Amino acid sequence: MADSKLPGSPPPSGDDAYTQWYEVKAGDTLWKIAKEHYGDGNLYRDIFNANTDVLSDPDKIKVGQRLRIP
Amino acid sequence: MSHIHPTPHAKTNFGAALYLLVALGIALTGCSNQMEPAKKAITEIEMAVASAGPDAQRYVPEKLKAVNDQLSNLRARFEQKDYAGVISGAPSVLASAQALVAAKDAAMKEASAKEAAEAAARQAADTQKLTTDWQTLSEDLPKQIAALDSRLNVLAKSKNLPANITKDALASAKTDLADAKSSWTAATTAQSGGDTRNAVAAAQQAKQKADAAMASLAMTSG
Repeated sequence: MADSKLPGSPPPSGDDAYTQWYEVKAGDTLWKIAKEHYGDGNLYRDIFNANTDVLSDPDKIKVGQRLRIP
Repeated sequence: MSHIHPTPHAKTNFGAALYLLVALGIALTGCSNQMEPAKKAITEIEMAVASAGPDAQRYVPEKLKAVNDQLSNLRARFEQKDYAGVISGAPSVLASAQALVAAKDAAMKEASAKEAAEAAARQAADTQKLTTDWQTLSEDLPKQIAALDSRLNVLAKSKNLPANITKDALASAKTDLADAKSSWTAATTAQSGGDTRNAVAAAQQAKQKADAAMASLAMTSG
């Protein structure tokens, strides 16, 4: 179900010590992750847009994936 | 009328006594003649030692002690009325006393040069540390501020706050980020003017504020 656009590709330039990361757990969706970090699941697009190097579809994430949380 | 003539033996005694008196007179005159030069020689040495000043004790204590010991020896000989001994021994002591000034000056110069070198080394280390601190902060802070901006921009669109962030914490984060930006601007201005010390000080203030903002937003670094 979940899919990586470019598995194993290096993170885009701009990642640094202050980039906030989240590791996907079983049962997670971008909506749930957005709700947890922003208080509003409708902001899941912000997470998706920050991870287009590894995500091609907001509905397809996989356990263990590391996602940037802008 | 009879005449009393000294016996030959009495003549001899009289001659010997006269000889002794003359010899003693010569000796006393000689001693008296040498006393003043001996005294003068000691005074000269004392003046030479004094001219080295109190710094001699600090910079060339061993040499000063050696001269003072020799001087004490001359004084003792003077007290024993060995003026000739004083006069013969004085030149070498005087030379040592006069050399004290040069030795003290050389030692002072060396100490001064050492202090200057140490001060320069401290200054260089301080400058190097400031440069390193500035490099670290100037690479770090813009990224930290960007991360905070990013998070606050997204939170500004949120209808609710996340469970781990209170309304007050959000307000604090906004204030701290504004302060961090202000201090960072002051830091870059100072650095542009060549004032790395104040640039680092302002950047460190900015860093403190940025760290506080991150804590308020439950963000981590590293």
